[in-house]
Order: sequence, then C-alpha cells, then structure tokens
Amino acid sequence: MPTPEPSEYVTIVSSDGFEFKILRSAACISGALRKAFDPASGFREQVESRFVLENFPGVVVEKICEYLYYNQKYAEAKDVPDMEIPAELCLELVTAADYLDC
Amino acid sequence: MSGRRSGAGGRRNGAGIRGPHSALTDFLASHNISAAEIRDSYRQRMLQAEQQAAQEQEQTGGGETQDNGEGPSRAADSRPEEDIEEQEEEQEEQEQEEVVAESSTAAAERTRKRKREQEEAIAKIKKGKTAKKGATKKKGKKKGGSDDEDDEDFDLMDMYRKAKKLPGQLENCEICEKRFTVTPYTKSGPDGGLVCAKCGKEMAKEAKAAEKAKKPVVRRGRRKIESNKLDGLTFRGAKTLQQLCIEKLAKHADDIEEFGDMPESLMQRLAEIFSKKRAMNSTTFKLFLQPDVDVVAIHEAAYLETEDYDQIFAIVPGIKKLVLRNCCQFKDANMEYMIEKARHLTDIQLLGANLVSNDKWIDLFVARGPDLKFFKVEWLDAAFDDQAVEALATFCPNLERLKIERCKQLGTASIDAIARMEKLEHLTLRFYQEVPIERLINLIGCVGANLQTLCLEHFLDNSDDPNDHILEAIHSTCSKLSKFRFTENHECSDEGYVNLFTNWANPPLRYIDLNSTRDLDNANPDGPQDKPIGLASAGFKALMQHSGSAIEYLDISSCRHISYATFSEIFDPKTNVYPRLREINLSFCPVVDTAIIAGVFRCCPEIKKVVTFGCFQVADVVVPRGVVLIGAPKAQDAIEQFGEMVMEFQKEVEGVGAGRVVPVMG
Repeated sequence: MPTPEPSEYVTIVSSDGFEFKILRSAACISGALRKAFDPASGFREQVESRFVLENFPGVVVEKICEYLYYNQKYAEAKDVPDMEIPAELCLELVTAADYLDC
Repeated sequence: MSGRRSGAGGRRNGAGIRGPHSALTDFLASHNISAAEIRDSYRQRMLQAEQQAAQEQEQTGGGETQDNGEGPSRAADSRPEEDIEEQEEEQEEQEQEEVVAESSTAAAERTRKRKREQEEAIAKIKKGKTAKKGATKKKGKKKGGSDDEDDEDFDLMDMYRKAKKLPGQLENCEICEKRFTVTPYTKSGPDGGLVCAKCGKEMAKEAKAAEKAKKPVVRRGRRKIESNKLDGLTFRGAKTLQQLCIEKLAKHADDIEEFGDMPESLMQRLAEIFSKKRAMNSTTFKLFLQPDVDVVAIHEAAYLETEDYDQIFAIVPGIKKLVLRNCCQFKDANMEYMIEKARHLTDIQLLGANLVSNDKWIDLFVARGPDLKFFKVEWLDAAFDDQAVEALATFCPNLERLKIERCKQLGTASIDAIARMEKLEHLTLRFYQEVPIERLINLIGCVGANLQTLCLEHFLDNSDDPNDHILEAIHSTCSKLSKFRFTENHECSDEGYVNLFTNWANPPLRYIDLNSTRDLDNANPDGPQDKPIGLASAGFKALMQHSGSAIEYLDISSCRHISYATFSEIFDPKTNVYPRLREINLSFCPVVDTAIIAGVFRCCPEIKKVVTFGCFQVADVVVPRGVVLIGAPKAQDAIEQFGEMVMEFQKEVEGVGAGRVVPVMG
C-alpha cells in the first residue's frame, strides 16, 4: 500500500543483514536510492522504505551511510574536508559508489 | 615631605661599627644615602598615615550614622568588595563636603592617603579571594580615576614575584626543577620563570611543531583552491564518493593487488587519475590489463619499460583501442609484437613513441590496413616521415579520425597524402614545416565536405601577399563542421572571417577556437585600422551571428583587434543570449573589462568557465555560483568568492555536489 506521506527515515540493508536507518533526504543524495524511493516510481523499495544492497557487506554500507550524511552536512559548504576512507574499503566502496551513483 | 626632613639628620652611622657590607651599601653611603635613614623615614611615614587613618575612620563613622541610617545594614549582608565600594563612595561624598571647608592642599593630601589605605585593603581582599578578583576590577573601573589603581595592582603582584636571575647565576628550572646556570639564551617558562636548556629546547620544538601544524593548512587550502579552479572543479559541497575513493586509491596505488570486478568506465577514470598522479608504473599499470577489456589507455606511460608494452598485447589480445602517451620506451620490437598479437586494433594513439622506426610504422599500417579507424601521433622527431603518411593513406582507406601534431619530419607530401583519405571525418593537423597554402586548400577541397572536425593550427603561407583563400575554401567546401579550430594565424584578414561566417551552409558550430589570429607587428600593436588582420570586430560579430545559438566552447584569446564596442554589443544581456555556451576564453583581449565579464555571465545561462588571463581591466567582478573565473590578474580577491553568489538571473543550481563542472571539451 503506498502511503501518502513518505516516512522521514528509510532503511538500507546490507548483504549480511545489517540494517541502517537514515534520513530520506540523505539517502536521496544517491541517484539510485533517489529513484528507488521516488514516490512516483511505485517500486517495492518505495512502499517499504527499505532498500537491500545485496552485494555489499555491512562495513561498506555503513561507510556509504556515513558518506550520505557527510555529503548532506557539507552541501553548502566551501573547502570541504575530505571524508576519511579506510584504504582497504576503497575498492568495494568505489564499486558501490558507482552502483549507487553518489 | 617627611623624607626630606629626616634626610637632613646627616651621617648618624658614619663612624659606627658595621656588619657585613655590600658594595651597594658602600656606594650609597658615599652618596650620603643610608639604609637606616630610609628605613626610619619609612616608619615615620607609616606612623603618620596610621594616625591620620584612625582620625578619618572616626570621622566617616560619625558621618555614616548621621546622614545615612541604612548604610550599615546594607554593608552587613553585602560582599566585601561591595563594602569597599560603598565605603569609597561615601568617602567621596564626604570629601566633597569637606572640600568646601578645608583648604585645597590638605584635602589633596587626605585624598591621597585615603586612597592608599583603600588600595591596601583591596589588595588584602584580593589575596584572600582570588576568585572574585575579576569582579573587583570591573567595579573599580566604574569609578573615576581608578586606572592608576589597576596599574598598582600589577605592581603589587610583581612584588610577590621573585626577581629574575641574571646570566651566570644559578636557578631551578621551572619545569623539571633541576638546578642550572642561567645564560643570556635561557628561555622563560610558561609561568614566567626560567627553564633549563633541555626543557627550553623541548619547548621550542613544541612551539615549532604547533606552528607547522597550523601553517600548511592555510597554504595548502589556497593552493588547492587555485589548482581545482584551473581544473574547472567547483568546491562547493562535498566531492562524490567515487571521487573520494578514486583519489584514495591513487594514493595507495602500490598496495592494490587487483581491481576485481569493476565497471570499465571506472577503470578508465582510475587510469586517468593514476596517470595524473604519476602512479602508473610497471607494477600498477598491470592492474588495468584484464583479458576482457577493449581499451587500454595509459595517459602517462613514461615509467613503463619496453617489456611492459609487450604485456599489454599478451594479456589483452582482443584490445581495440590503445592509448599510450609519453611511451618513450615503445620500440620496434613492441610494434612487431603488437602487429602480431593485437589483431583487432582499430584505434591507435601513440604519443612520443620516438624509438619506432619509419619502416615499423609502415608495417603497422600494412598490417592494420582497412581496419584502422582512428590514428593519432604527436611529438615525433626522428622517424615518421612523409613516406609513413603516404603508407597510411594507401593502406588504411577507412581512416575516420586523424590527428598528426608536432611531427618534425612531415611536410607538403603528407598534406597531399592526407588529401586522399576520403573517409576522414575528423582531421587535426599541426606541422612544423611550412606548407604552401594552395596544397592546404587542395586538401580541404578533397576531404572538407565530410569533415565534422577541422583543426588547423599554425598554418602560414609566408608569401608576400597574404590572402584569405583558405577561409574561402572552408566556406565553400565544409558544411558538416561542428568543431573548428584555426589558430596562430596573422595572415587571414577580418574580412576573410566575415566572409567565412556569413551565409555559410554549415550549421552553427559547437566548438570554435580562433585564438591568436591577430596582426603581429609590434610597432603597431593595434594592427592596420582600415583592413584589420585576424578575427576582429566584424569577424567576431559574424561568428556569433552564425554560431551563437549552438556554440558551447569559444576560444578567442589573443584576438586583440576586437573592439570594446563589439564586446559590449555581443554580450549585451538585453539583446543576446547564448543558451549553450559553457566555456569561453577571453585571455589577452586587452579591452575586456569587468562590465563585459558581467555581461558574459548574464548572456550565457549555461556558462561554467570563463578564462581571462591578461585581462587587466577585469576587477571586482562578482562571480555567480557554479561558475569558475580563471586568470583575471586584478580580480584575485573577487575570485575568492567564487561560486558564492546566486545571481538574480540564475536559477538555484539544483543539488549538485562538487565535481567537474566544466567537462573537458573534446
């Protein structure tokens, strides 16, 4: 059932079952998530406010959520400090970023 | 007063028995000054002061009971500081009354003494209640003439402090409490004492480290901003996660074992950033060699060895596109191996491959033959001569894109050979040798009709009577161009450009680069007035008339003869709009000023990058959000505010993060 008022938070689920509840506005920084949660799309993700990232483990999804908030925080700022990314996560993260378009 | 009196008492101690004497005492004694006398006079003064104070106390006490009944009750529950304040106020009142009665000198003396007494009281309270010290001071300041009181506070504080030791004396270190000899270089510690050499060194080290930690942040920030600006990057908002990761990966290039399953577009971006950071070496470049890829693009191959190139074709035999820049170690043997292995190559770009001989180039063209679609060479000095180009024209008839730049051996024969390549759609040429203009006109006549890209840089006739025939040839032949570059020419006249762009069958162009088309007579910097040389006012008007609706990139740097009136007419926001213009280069057009740049911002809703090197009249221009202004020697402060302003004509740039706002225009 599509709810008329979209919830404030959405849930991102990692491949190993970790759930991350983040602000809808932050999630929508990612192109893929924006499309998935678009009220007009009618995807199941939109109905459930839940998005499963089947290919990425919790550590990666956690970092993605961190990035989404980081991006939201610095949306208007100048000279934004780079977010710290652990080197060992880089490869997975870059693939995830490509997939999520963020 | 009293000091003088007792001083008259002479040398009482003159012939007495002395205890141990210091040199100072002797010295003072020789000047008729005795310590005992000073002490006596001090005591006398103290005594006098006490007596006087006692008298006054009586007087004030009486005054209070007489004319202010509620005084004591207030004093009882108020804090000591307030107490003093009140007391003082009351005393002041009293003073005023007394002034009438007493003589002025006596009054003044009293005031002084009273003050001193108060100060002593204040000092006592302060000693007891350091926590409330601030409040006392504040209140003290409210009173008139209390500034000197504050000063005396400090003097009192100093009195309690030990005198600093002089060089040569011994002192205990303030930090480690070790005993050491004071030298002129001894540093003072955080609490004002002296510290030993060891602790002093450590303190200096810490101070330096703190300074270092502070400094680079500022400097790097500034540098980084400039660098990003030149790269056409905005710095409002955060970078994309991809960007962050790619930068991080480039930093740790040597630690990566393999990329794993990565989209090819990402691989290309990584290859670019690795090249940019000069991280492309024999080890890291293998990361990009995966058997199933079509493209191997190493934009900076200077660190690769001869054997490495063979690896490319061994691992990726199905390669279709090969890009190697600065491939200095690419040799004949590599070429042979490439010919043998990579049988699907259609797109070859080898820049700076100077160790490949002429014959091997020809072998390559024979082998690739009709499959070759795109060929690009640059910076070749020793080999690659006219014969090679002849072979290219003969064996590779399906060539669609050809770029030959800065190859020293090439001359007129090559131009004639290229004229035979009928399928060419994109042609970029820049020769070192001079080419007669009629051969070039012949070339355009042969291949021009199909061309979408035509780039001719630095082609000059050098005849006595320069003419515009080449522009006429382009006008009459080319009708499919979308990118046109014709630069570094001081022979074609403004009229030639007017004729080129007027009634041209070619649709509006997307990309125009006419930089450095101007007269080159330094005795006459404005050029001939009656018949301007290069792209001048009329030509520029014709250009914008023709292509203004579609143009995305415009480079007219160093087109010096375009007038101010023309610029302001073309970039008049009331009459003109250039809906697609994203990037413009106005460098070294001396007439361009702040107003024109502002006009550019308003006329071009899509503008992202404005280049104004050497435009000394551009100053204080307000740069709209999302736009990069580069150069502008006089507007450095204004540029700082890059991207800040949302202009009234701008729609708010929607949620774009930082990233490349200005794509590299192909």
